[in-house]
Amino acid sequence: MEVSNQKKEAYYTATQMQLVRTRFFGNRSAMIAGSILLFMIICSLFADFLSPYDPTIKGRDKDYENGAPQIPMFWDENGFSARPFLHTLEKYRGADTNFRWVYKVDTEKRRYVYFFVEGWEYKVFDFNINLPGKVLDFKISGFTFNTHLFGVEEGGIHIFGTDKAGKDLFSRTLSAIYISLAVGTLGVFISFVLSLIIGGISGYYGGWIDSVLQMFTDAIRTVPPIPLFMCLAAFAPLEWSSELRFFFISCLLGLISWPTLARRVRTHLLSERSQEYILAAKLCGASSTHIIVRHLLPSFTSYIIVDLVISFPYMLLSETALSFIGLGLREPVNSLGVLLQNATKADVLLNYQWYFIPVFFLVVLILTFVYVGDGLRDAADPHKVK
Amino acid sequence: MINFIQFTLTRAGLAIITLLLVCFIVFSLMELVPGTCAERYLAFKNTQGSQITYEDIEKEKIRLGLDKPFLYRYGKWVSNIVFNGDFGDSCILRMNINELLSGRFMLSLTICLVALIFSYLIAIPVGIISATTKYASLDNTLKFISYLGIALPNFLVALCIMLFMTVYYGDTMTGLFSQEYENEPWSTSKLFDFLSRAWLPIFVLGWNATAFALQTVRALMLDENDKLYVMAARARGISGMSLLWRYPAKHSLGPVINSIGFDLNRIFSALPIVALILILTEAGALLIEALARSNDQQLAGAIIFLLTATIVFVNFITDIILAIIDPRIRKGVMGGG
Repeated sequence: MEVSNQKKEAYYTATQMQLVRTRFFGNRSAMIAGSILLFMIICSLFADFLSPYDPTIKGRDKDYENGAPQIPMFWDENGFSARPFLHTLEKYRGADTNFRWVYKVDTEKRRYVYFFVEGWEYKVFDFNINLPGKVLDFKISGFTFNTHLFGVEEGGIHIFGTDKAGKDLFSRTLSAIYISLAVGTLGVFISFVLSLIIGGISGYYGGWIDSVLQMFTDAIRTVPPIPLFMCLAAFAPLEWSSELRFFFISCLLGLISWPTLARRVRTHLLSERSQEYILAAKLCGASSTHIIVRHLLPSFTSYIIVDLVISFPYMLLSETALSFIGLGLREPVNSLGVLLQNATKADVLLNYQWYFIPVFFLVVLILTFVYVGDGLRDAADPHKVK
Repeated sequence: MINFIQFTLTRAGLAIITLLLVCFIVFSLMELVPGTCAERYLAFKNTQGSQITYEDIEKEKIRLGLDKPFLYRYGKWVSNIVFNGDFGDSCILRMNINELLSGRFMLSLTICLVALIFSYLIAIPVGIISATTKYASLDNTLKFISYLGIALPNFLVALCIMLFMTVYYGDTMTGLFSQEYENEPWSTSKLFDFLSRAWLPIFVLGWNATAFALQTVRALMLDENDKLYVMAARARGISGMSLLWRYPAKHSLGPVINSIGFDLNRIFSALPIVALILILTEAGALLIEALARSNDQQLAGAIIFLLTATIVFVNFITDIILAIIDPRIRKGVMGGG
């Protein structure tokens, strides 16, 4: 009896955020998706440390092009080993293989996998942003490291295989996840700011300002987004640097996807504006800014967060679609769309199926985002009494 | 009745204003692209071996009317479309856009509309089942399949089916017609040939659309199902399918009809990429061609205009339908009654 009373009291005195948190943690599928998502985000943040090779052309393996994945193993016919190892491969070409290069596995020679080995150099906290205009350039040189999680002593280790230039697909996948998430984050941020401003003005002032802005928002919403993206992305000249292109594409994603969120902000503000507590604040002589910042914004922070998480996978998909048709990011930048572009040739489908490993990561990333968004939405809904 | 006509006219007026606004956005985008049509065409001629001077460019500009101010050209472009149904000439292909698009846009529209109908036919019953089932595992499975429809990129699904068909049937399934029918006029056998191939893009686009529609239906049903009027109906002893169809399903129909326009928008959006993979010969593929390869802004503008006009039209129709079937909106429109 005592316990249940305490529980009840805890429930009634809990803040909105505490309730949301409890409900979210109680949602099993959202929790599983959330952990996978968190794991992937952390992996992508430490991509340089985890990848044994440079994901750009610098890290290519000349002796292993279009190579199949090499999975480290613990035993073979010659017995068991506590340290994982790979067999040695030899490039071979002769009359019996129709003079094509094939790899012969020499099971007698083992190559052991070592951890925390030294490899290619990478930088941490290194920012070098080079946008048009001198004011926007800034440079921070960070720290240089060369320790990697794993590697082998001689030859290469490519656990996801290599592409046609010999670039390690594992390293590329990790950096692609990082880049795609970065593009998505920047895009979501831009669309967030835009929708707050436009939806905010529209909802707070109402009247004819609202009508005009709503008409504009609706017009943008009726144009099919991908063709509009394509139309805008076609402006980017081919000679732009990859950083500039990256920035441009993120801005585009943000500039096109704000209407849905702006509409939600507006609807919420319109209904909240006529509530008594706003009237009370107005009567006390509070300024518009004070009311917006202190009262209106906090009243829907949780909805905004939920909406942002829900809109994230669409950002990722748009970026992928753009890069896929060649209007988005391009080599040498790695993104999931760029990697998918390589996977669409019939020859790849039949012979080099490991090109599809990044596709799997894209699907998992989007699925987890959708599940987490769904869980958050359910958790933030105050009408659900469970 | 007067009220209803007034409502229809206001809606039509709003739709036209939206369309004009969209036109303006599309036209401004076309203008922002570096280089004018005249320059691009003459640059193309230059690669063919003829010498081009500065005067030639100026002359060509005057011929195309590019020396006129921006707003004048915008007005001319719009009035040409509205009054003559004429989109002008494609800048690079040197062909009349109407000719280029005539059959292809209808093909795209047919594919999209069939995909839309297909997705709703599946999504509505499945969404209701998913929302009202007692078995959590069934609900979770249906939810997972629909999320997968969102997460799997369209082109990947298309590619996998293509590969499967190639390996097991020896036919790649690309294109919309077999070779012998490609340039034939429409006939019954051509229609069957078209259907035997068009199911692939329709399926791919439809799965994705079904996923979205399913979520809408499911969420609406869940919301409505908890409401008091449903509980009251249950207390009166109505149960099972008749309860669902008479009360919550009927009420959630409104927002579903409302979302048709946006679903069509989404399908149109996905079409170009699927068209690229399946090598379809319709407007979506032409759009990618115009934007990504030849930078043909006239053609791209015309296609985007047509797509948007279709969506605006569908939105207008759904608004009218809603006003007719939904008593709550009808009351708002007619006043009283």
